[in-house]
Amino acid sequence: MKNLESYIDKMIEAAPTPQQTAKAMGSFMNAAGKAADAAGKMLTKMADKPEKPKGLGTLYTDKTGILKHREWRGVGDTAYDFYRWLYNWKDIIDLYKSNPKGMKDCLMRYRWMGSYLTLPAFMDRHTMGLKGTQLKLAHESYNMIMRNFLTALMLIGKVDQHLVGDNPIAKRIIVFDELIPSQLWAGFPTLLNFPLQSPPLFFPSMLEQSMSKHYLDAVENFGVPADVCPLPSAEAGMAVEDDYPAFGMCYIACNMPCDGSAMTSSFQERRLNMPTYVLNVPVRYDEDESQEYAVAELKKCIEYVENLAGVKYDYNALKAACERYNEQTEIELEKWEYNRTDYPQFTGANLWLFRMFSFAGGALKDPRYLQVERKTKELMEKAYARKEKRSTEIRHRAIIWSCPANYYTDFPLWLENCWGICGLMDMETNTSTIKFDTSSPESMLRDMAYHYERAIMRKHTKGGYAHVLDELWKQVDLYHADMVIMYDQISCKGMDGLVGDFEDQAKERGVRMIWVKQDLMDCTTISRRDMREDVNKFMYTVMQEEPLDPSLVDFDDSLAW
Amino acid sequence: MKELKHIHEFTKLLDDVNNNLVQQAASEGKIPLGYTCYYIPEVLLNVDKGFSVRLRTPNMGSLDVSTYYMSNYVCEFSRAIVERGMEGGYNFLGALIASETCTEMHRAAEHFDLLKLVPNDKFFVAILDVPFKTDDHCVEHYVKQIRNKVIEPLEKVYGIDYSDEKLREAVKLHNEVCKIITEIGEFRKGPTPRITGTEYHILNLVSYTCPKALIIDMLRDTLEEVRNRKPDPEGTYRARVVMVGSEIDDYEFTQLIEENGALVVADRFCFGSIPGREQIVLPEGEDVLTAIARHYMETSQCARFMNKEKVDGRKELVRKLVADYDADGVIYEQMKFCEYWGYERALSFHILTDEYNIPTLSVDRQYTVRSGTGQLRTRIQAFVESLEIKKIHKQRG
Repeated sequence: MKNLESYIDKMIEAAPTPQQTAKAMGSFMNAAGKAADAAGKMLTKMADKPEKPKGLGTLYTDKTGILKHREWRGVGDTAYDFYRWLYNWKDIIDLYKSNPKGMKDCLMRYRWMGSYLTLPAFMDRHTMGLKGTQLKLAHESYNMIMRNFLTALMLIGKVDQHLVGDNPIAKRIIVFDELIPSQLWAGFPTLLNFPLQSPPLFFPSMLEQSMSKHYLDAVENFGVPADVCPLPSAEAGMAVEDDYPAFGMCYIACNMPCDGSAMTSSFQERRLNMPTYVLNVPVRYDEDESQEYAVAELKKCIEYVENLAGVKYDYNALKAACERYNEQTEIELEKWEYNRTDYPQFTGANLWLFRMFSFAGGALKDPRYLQVERKTKELMEKAYARKEKRSTEIRHRAIIWSCPANYYTDFPLWLENCWGICGLMDMETNTSTIKFDTSSPESMLRDMAYHYERAIMRKHTKGGYAHVLDELWKQVDLYHADMVIMYDQISCKGMDGLVGDFEDQAKERGVRMIWVKQDLMDCTTISRRDMREDVNKFMYTVMQEEPLDPSLVDFDDSLAW
Repeated sequence: MKELKHIHEFTKLLDDVNNNLVQQAASEGKIPLGYTCYYIPEVLLNVDKGFSVRLRTPNMGSLDVSTYYMSNYVCEFSRAIVERGMEGGYNFLGALIASETCTEMHRAAEHFDLLKLVPNDKFFVAILDVPFKTDDHCVEHYVKQIRNKVIEPLEKVYGIDYSDEKLREAVKLHNEVCKIITEIGEFRKGPTPRITGTEYHILNLVSYTCPKALIIDMLRDTLEEVRNRKPDPEGTYRARVVMVGSEIDDYEFTQLIEENGALVVADRFCFGSIPGREQIVLPEGEDVLTAIARHYMETSQCARFMNKEKVDGRKELVRKLVADYDADGVIYEQMKFCEYWGYERALSFHILTDEYNIPTLSVDRQYTVRSGTGQLRTRIQAFVESLEIKKIHKQRG
């Protein structure tokens, strides 16, 4: 016991004094602090370290742009992407199986039909570099667009008089100019409707960059000057070449969106050789007195079809369609709201392409659209709630303005992948968002007129410069954008007529504006590579930035689809 | 032929938009009202103390500044109007009445507003929405547009009286000018015309750009002179042609064609007399304004009209003109970068040559004749030769 006591005494004697303890603790804390500080610095450094470039450009085969192998996006995303790739093929094969002879005849009769075989490559181009929710959103929406067009091909295969001769269904189809949104036809549920230019020309020109060249050559050989906008010009070329599907009880032409488009009607009318009604949509659409005229035009058009088809317009059917469309519009507006935050979800190519086709027809024509919209809404909400990071760093929040190039629809995705320029809003997306008042036929027609006046490529290019010039700055503010990607569509007279004003006002506002020259349908005038070069030059020389993915800066895809 | 008595004075008037007569009218308290398009009813700008000046850009030089604002893919006429506006060439105007009919000219008009080109507090730009077809409800819309954007502002800003009485007075003077111009134009028919296409183009341009009241006496004199004029012998010109197409406000274009041996016997182009110089009929019981608006919608041959009757009617009219004026062929022209006439020219060329068998020269051209004369001259010479060869073949059976 004595020993123990002396041991304790010795221990007490040897134990540090409170001052010594405090000193030792201080040294320890100091050392720990230094270690934590060092760890913190290391983590910060790791976080700041730029993500390793994805090297997406190395996936392309020179010139043809064919992928050397599929992109590696991590196990889950790569597997999902491959599954969706197979799923797209399944849809295409299903189409063929539904009518093998019709599809084969269609392929032999129409040169544009071959472009549809490149659909899977289109999907790959538009999902490049995407992961997680972004990848899912893209696949869901592009697949819906694709299915929509495959349905149109199915119709062509079955009723086109070029392929199957005279048949009764062919005379029950309202053929209309693709710029007329489909609302109006919803009131004729017993008749089919078909946007004349979309399945044979507009969408294929997005699938394959050189697809429209043949039609442009044809119409220029016919004598139409090469300086007109190539979209209506190619449409006229298709009429010259007799490459439109042959069916319909009537053709509803319209004056939208531009001068060239109005003029191609005479080419199409001559070729189609069927009763034609010209639907006028007022150009000075902000004025109240224009609305009466717009509604009168819609009524006349309805009356025209009623008389031809011997059916009455069904406002209940219109109401049901408008209600579906209203839900779709709500979801669209939600997408826009997310894009205003620091966690944008639905951007760039995906944003405008899906919006364009859902605006033109969407849930009105094809109820499958609404299912996809609901699914994307759910995905967006979840991703936003967990603040999911985007696949690529956002360096610049951009508004993409003026009409995009059909031959380079994935250009906004390249902007994201190569330079971190994220397109949050664009001119094609920013069209009418009116929700139809379905309380009476009059209210629906009034809203339809309003909707038509603000249709794709119409809302901004007609009715005065404020719709395109002032509107751009509104969007810049709304989306907290620091950059504008301005397509310089060289043949668009409406936009050309204001180039200096855009330039002056961007300078006054201190907004970086990158002009990207393009020729809408003609990749031989200005190539995809030229378009990229406009951005590269600006980013290197003016912004003095380095690309996120140097392998994407310059590559040759002149022979690609 | 003996030179027309007033031709030098007329030509001089075309050297400047703000010419002596415009200045004289303005100094008398009249209001010069600019316009550029047939869709703006000329007669409505000549009511009471207003007077119309169809805008041109004589002696235009560089288009550099307007090209900065509008790019070089927009037609030179639109750019020239903006350039001249920036130079102060239209400072005398009280208002610019325009329309959103062709995009390019619409953008040009907007620049008067965007860049505040006319330093005059009262100056305003009005832009009309004009339908693409001529149904009754379309005319109704057009009338509303005119009332809201032309009549009401002009009444309010300048106190111009748009009573029925004043409207009828304006129509009367307008019709008198049209009657004289049309009558002079009739002398282009027959084997020995008493007026050349160039002279006629000058007279007609003067009638569009000067105050009507100040030129009518000279026009009357000219009509009288032409009636008694000794024509050139038959065969002075190697061919007779109808000129069709987009805006030509430069008589030198007609002159160029005639220097190369083709007499221009009919002028179916913007700024020409067909249409443009038809008299306005005011039917009993119809609202005067509606009758005027209907007249312009119905007579217009603008390529922008989309309804079938108009589309087919444009080609039919050319066929009729060829027959009425005994023309050997058609020169179908279009100003470069004009979308409307670009398509119309291409399609019409095929219809005229393949379906109507009318020899047609199809050309796109610069706004001013002086730029690019060489190529044009060669093409016209070749066309005239081909017409001659056709005639020879025809004579030989």
